[in-house]
Amino acid sequence: MTVKGYYGRLLDINLTTGEIKKTQIPEEDIKRFIGGRGLGTKILWDKLPNPGIDPLSPENAILFMPGPFSGLPIPSSSRTCVVTKSPRTSAINRKFENGSTISYSNMGGFFGPEVRFAGYDGICVTGKAEKPVYIKIEDEKVEICDATKFWGMGTDELDKELINELGDRKFESCYIGPAGENLVPMACVLNTSARAAGRGGTGCVMGSKNLKAIAVKGTQMPKLGNHKKYLELLEKTRKSFKDDNNEGLKFWRYGGTANALTSSSQRGTQAVKNYSEGSFGDIEKIGTAANREQVWKRDFACFSCQLACKKSGIAKGSYSVMVHDGPEYETGTMMGANLLISDLAGLQKLIAVADDYGIDIISAGNAIGFLMEAYEKKLISKEYLDGIDLTWGNVEASLELLHKMCRREKIGDLACQGVKALAKDIGQGSEKFAIHVKGHELAAWNVPVNSDYWSICYATSNRGACHMNGGSPDRQDMAALRDSLAACSFAAGWYRDEISYANFLSAITGMEWSDDDFKKAGTRIFTLEKMFNYRDGFTRDDDNLPDKFYENKFTFGDFKGSIVDKKIFEKSLTDYYKLRGWDTETSKPSDEVLKELDLEFTIS
Amino acid sequence: MRDLALGGGGLVILGSLGFKIFKSPDGKTIKAISVNFEKCAGCRTCEMACSAFNHREIIDGEEVFGLGNPNLSNIKVFHYNPDVDVPSTCAICPDPPCIEACVISPDLITGRKALYRDSETMVIKNDIERCIGCMQCAKACSTLRGGVIIPNPETHKPERMCQLCNGDPQCVKHCPFGALEYIEIADDRDLKNLAPSKIAEKLMEQWYNYNV
Repeated sequence: MTVKGYYGRLLDINLTTGEIKKTQIPEEDIKRFIGGRGLGTKILWDKLPNPGIDPLSPENAILFMPGPFSGLPIPSSSRTCVVTKSPRTSAINRKFENGSTISYSNMGGFFGPEVRFAGYDGICVTGKAEKPVYIKIEDEKVEICDATKFWGMGTDELDKELINELGDRKFESCYIGPAGENLVPMACVLNTSARAAGRGGTGCVMGSKNLKAIAVKGTQMPKLGNHKKYLELLEKTRKSFKDDNNEGLKFWRYGGTANALTSSSQRGTQAVKNYSEGSFGDIEKIGTAANREQVWKRDFACFSCQLACKKSGIAKGSYSVMVHDGPEYETGTMMGANLLISDLAGLQKLIAVADDYGIDIISAGNAIGFLMEAYEKKLISKEYLDGIDLTWGNVEASLELLHKMCRREKIGDLACQGVKALAKDIGQGSEKFAIHVKGHELAAWNVPVNSDYWSICYATSNRGACHMNGGSPDRQDMAALRDSLAACSFAAGWYRDEISYANFLSAITGMEWSDDDFKKAGTRIFTLEKMFNYRDGFTRDDDNLPDKFYENKFTFGDFKGSIVDKKIFEKSLTDYYKLRGWDTETSKPSDEVLKELDLEFTIS
Repeated sequence: MRDLALGGGGLVILGSLGFKIFKSPDGKTIKAISVNFEKCAGCRTCEMACSAFNHREIIDGEEVFGLGNPNLSNIKVFHYNPDVDVPSTCAICPDPPCIEACVISPDLITGRKALYRDSETMVIKNDIERCIGCMQCAKACSTLRGGVIIPNPETHKPERMCQLCNGDPQCVKHCPFGALEYIEIADDRDLKNLAPSKIAEKLMEQWYNYNV
């Protein structure tokens, strides 16, 4: 027996022993942690009974988690969350040599639904294969196959070759590129050679297991608790998208998140010149309109999505590039505005190269931006950079560094560890402009304007700096829920009133989910992640912001002079802990809070 | 290949309104699903709608739509790299090579082979009592047309021929991008003989100047 709407089954694979198990997921865990990010965190907690485990050791587990909405045609709700122990993060006061936070990162596409069609609520991989392998799943039939011939292959070529080997286009897959194979800490997991579970080093963990790819297809669907109610809600949801007058849809289809490139720049919230500025004078050159005119040919959607925010085309000019996706807001800002790059074809080249290697573009753009600033300030020489003249806006130099990072060559070997490691090596006060929290780089939303929101958002995110985290407990809990259901934040606005997430989950499970139960599940998931981190040695000291935000004033644009007040931040952080019922000095959730959230098992 | 050669314009590969509309010997027209590849975003809502309609569930004694599963759908969206999505479904051909290839002798009274055209709806149907599962129909379809017919994993008899959902095709109804139409088909349809991979190659070339 399991909760309706689920199979209650985890595909549990140990690559060291080659053992393939289909294990029962406890019913209580499903009810409490829902799926995706939440259920993945609970399973990871159970798999790693002790803190301080080396994230790149065979002991670490990596989970590929769809949610209860995955595989149902509920519009824009079939994402996949990859959950593991992070190879990116470390605490200021180290309690364990390998202490690190949880990592979760989710991707759109078609992989998660297919995992559900094959009859599983998730896939867990532990151990380490002797040689490169990929996992092939066809309903009950699961094989560990040789991937030697795919090792070293970029994601673009692999995307074509893997499907040829499988001989059936009905397979969906996710995979790593050479960055993951080379154990680049900021490597990511991709599908369709563009959609990435980009953050938190998921691809590095996959690489550490010699796991190149997972391919899956299936013919099943679970039984729902209230099938008719679900059909009724689905009909109403489809109607609500239709009745929208298409304004919201038009916005997403026109530019996806790239629309924010220009709007964020106007509002002073963009990461520009390694976060020194909030606006970029040349933003129009890489914005939506320029891309529509010069690059994009087609819009593509994820499973049962109406927004079609993925853009494909071909860039010409300084470089000739096949574009699978982008720029979207994050990639366009981090490889564009943040490096003062406004050459559109150059930007597209950087994004395409990064996706082909399979590296987190947010973190990679950060590392390049950090080194540009250090080079400009003459803290490092051209020799330190292996002869690369890493000036602002220099596409060719950025490309060269990016290649070196993904191959771990010379300066690249250090740069791919991220800005925290770079600042430690360079010293001379450079840690002040190393833009990370807990070792994980910030994303493309700059902090000083709307600092109330962004400072809390970045400082308290459980995977290290994360722009999707939310700037208040309520928003954070809601984001954790969405990631657990597998719903896409871009379409969240459509799910209100009767067609709420809670009502869908009630119909799927046949259990009545009140708004309060639902909210509490979000708090529970977020708090379990927090306990994972606390157990590994992260405390209030680690919930911080880089000093640059307290010392650097914007010199350009409508928001000239913007800066973050450290005292105000510290006070907001204390207020945040109080709201959560966490200790204001250590940040530890109180035992009462943990008991109230059914997290007694985390109390040591 | 005329439409493809135009470049950039509307590319309706199945069916071109305004051209000669196909009529069967007894004067009936055939309606089928027409795909506009320029509009398809590859979301696969059509697969879910098709399979939900054709694979029902009994809930409280009432037959209702199922949840759907792309691998049970009659319409299938094939994804290629560089990004091209090719929805592929039974074309309900005016000159169906599948029926031509069927090895079962025509019934003396109805004139039907095991695989036959329904005289009311004009869709292609299979009489599983008479069908021996030789799959010559599938071979003919994959060689000469889109290759949509596959054997049922349990009965080993051909399936996935579009039945048009009793006149209200669910794929057309639910496509969020308006990429599918339910229209009378012309007998001079371009590319009707092509497999999805061939269509993809043409589109890659046209959209991205990409040569396989």
